[in-house]
Amino acid sequence: MTETPAPVAVRLRGITKTFGSNTVVRPLDLDIRDGEFFSILGPSGCGKTTLMRMITGFESPTDGSVELAGRDVSKVPTRDRDLNMLFQSYALFPHLSVYENVAFELRVRRTPKAELDTRVREALELVRLADFGDRKPNELSGGQRQRVALARAVVGRPAVVLLDEPLGALDQKLRKEMQFELKRMQREVGITFIYVTHDQEEALTMSDRIAVMSEGRVLQVASPIDIYDAPASRFVAGFIGSCNLIPARLEAGRAVTSGAGAIPADTAEAATRGLADGAEVVVAVRPERVTLHADPAAAPAGAVRGVISARVFLGDEWTVHVDAQGLTLTVQVPSGETGAALAALADGAEVAVSWTTAAGRILPAVDQTSGDAAGATATVTAGPTSEGAAA
Amino acid sequence: MDRVVAWASRLVFVFLYLPIAALIVYSLNASDVNYRWEGVSLRWYAELFADRMLLETLRTSLIVGLLAALLATALGFLSSMALVRFRVKGRGAFLGAILIPLIVPEIVLGVSLLTVFSTVGVPAGFLTLVLGHTVITLPLATLVQMGAMSSLDPSLPDAAADLGAGAFTTFRRVTFPLLRPAILAAFLLSFATSFGNIVISTFTSGVGTTTLPLRIYSQLKTGLTPELNALGTLLVVLTLAIILIVGVGQLRRILAGGPDQT
Ligand SMILES: Nc1ncnc2c1ncn2[C@@H]1O[C@H](COP(=O)(O)OP(=O)(O)OP(=O)(O)O)[C@@H](O)[C@H]1O
Ligand SMILES: [Mg+2]
Repeated sequence: MTETPAPVAVRLRGITKTFGSNTVVRPLDLDIRDGEFFSILGPSGCGKTTLMRMITGFESPTDGSVELAGRDVSKVPTRDRDLNMLFQSYALFPHLSVYENVAFELRVRRTPKAELDTRVREALELVRLADFGDRKPNELSGGQRQRVALARAVVGRPAVVLLDEPLGALDQKLRKEMQFELKRMQREVGITFIYVTHDQEEALTMSDRIAVMSEGRVLQVASPIDIYDAPASRFVAGFIGSCNLIPARLEAGRAVTSGAGAIPADTAEAATRGLADGAEVVVAVRPERVTLHADPAAAPAGAVRGVISARVFLGDEWTVHVDAQGLTLTVQVPSGETGAALAALADGAEVAVSWTTAAGRILPAVDQTSGDAAGATATVTAGPTSEGAAA
Repeated sequence: MDRVVAWASRLVFVFLYLPIAALIVYSLNASDVNYRWEGVSLRWYAELFADRMLLETLRTSLIVGLLAALLATALGFLSSMALVRFRVKGRGAFLGAILIPLIVPEIVLGVSLLTVFSTVGVPAGFLTLVLGHTVITLPLATLVQMGAMSSLDPSLPDAAADLGAGAFTTFRRVTFPLLRPAILAAFLLSFATSFGNIVISTFTSGVGTTTLPLRIYSQLKTGLTPELNALGTLLVVLTLAIILIVGVGQLRRILAGGPDQT
């Protein structure tokens, strides 16, 4: 059996957007597969909304093309594109009932009455608002409005639904619930979802694949697990979750820091990405993959010695900062036995930290731009983006 | 203290409505003069409907008011649309220019209108009257509609386009229904402003286009006849009828200019 890749729902080629002299989206390529939950993740102002508005057609690209299901739609107006958008403000029509809001597209497209009614009811059932058809939007809670907007977006069975930070206005608890619901509904209707967010946790929990954006560029496109475990750049490592970024130099197949000597790092894997001896790198280590040894004497070989400089108790875990020969490392220690041992120690106590070779991912010290169709040679310096190490 | 406030507010009420009550009562007075009461009669109503001249001015006022209000509402709608929706260059200056007639004394406007019309050679008459009234009602009509428009979520038209609606459908099904109260408010306010105006009419009306306020004003010299009480009463009744038909709640919403939520 030969494996055929899923057909492409949205294909962007060399797409660019410039407002005046301000380039908001750099030439970028992106393929979004049919039926997937695809997230676009990036800090505020990196161009996520602009990218989305070019896909919907509200904004026309300065350069490049948009293809939907293999058809170039760059010149096709929004209303003739087979996609719908879920707005951050919901954009429900305040003068229409919930039912009429959901029915809007079908009415505009002159769907026969009986079919219209069936489909509107189906859509309302999907979002569990079957009994709310007669209400006006201002008689609904934030979460309910959100669901009406979703029903309205899927009722016409578009190939793609774009969601621009749809959960931004909801409180923490409702957000969690809606993340779950959205994912369920997406599976149920099988429509491609393009989901914009600047919340990394949201992207990780919901997506099939994530594109990480920064300053108008797509830095990496991968599954949540790969984005988290195998970030391609400093920026991605620092933006998703917290991460220790330890400057080092590759020497004789080892990663050597100026203060602490050689530290565990996956040099063999790095070599496959062209990071060889002599390269200036950073070793990215997730705080939860670092083990803290309360008794430095009992630590395994290769452990780094240091002293505890600060601790924060978070309930299910401790966040511990360890000063290790010029490096500040963040370590996550689960509550329980290790946590109890830790609580017994004083700040300034001598400890050791260690991690496996595989946990030390080697990244170039300076980010190269990627996904740059124009082949621009400019580089992006991510700066001190690591929340963990910078803290 | 509370008692004082309560009495004061009652007094204000009396002060507001006493003249109207007096108007209605005296319209039924059988006497030739306002200050003497000689029993109930519908005499002045009969005289009012026989007074061709007065009815003619009423007709002029109504037609001018309707046309000026229509024009001002339409122009106000378009300019507020442009100002709110699009990033027009010189937006501030444009807005200022539209609002100037609200600040400049009417008498100055009247003089300048007269100057312009006579320079261009348009004879004073129906046309100049309507144009003059449009100028003074436009600021209000624009302000009311602009307020409502800027309180509309700008992503609503995007959402409609996204759901397959063209420009016209979007207007018919989304923008217009949401702005209808404000449009109606702009129209009513413009009409009321035009209907009661004297100063601009003085400068712009010609022979045969005397408006009702002008006529009443000119009668001051010869003395007001009680038939004006009858006319006033009819106008009050008409206004009340409109309020009842439109509904008090609806009217409050209209004058507040908010989006229609009913
Ligand atoms: N119509 C416009 N005219 C000029 N500049 C614009 C316009 N729209 C967006 N920008 C600029 O483009 C940049 C990216 O904006 P965009 O809204 O795409 O960011 P975003 O990633 O969606 O951010 P956020 O997470 O805050 O929503 C910003 O610097 C913004 O000021
Ligand atoms: Mg945005």
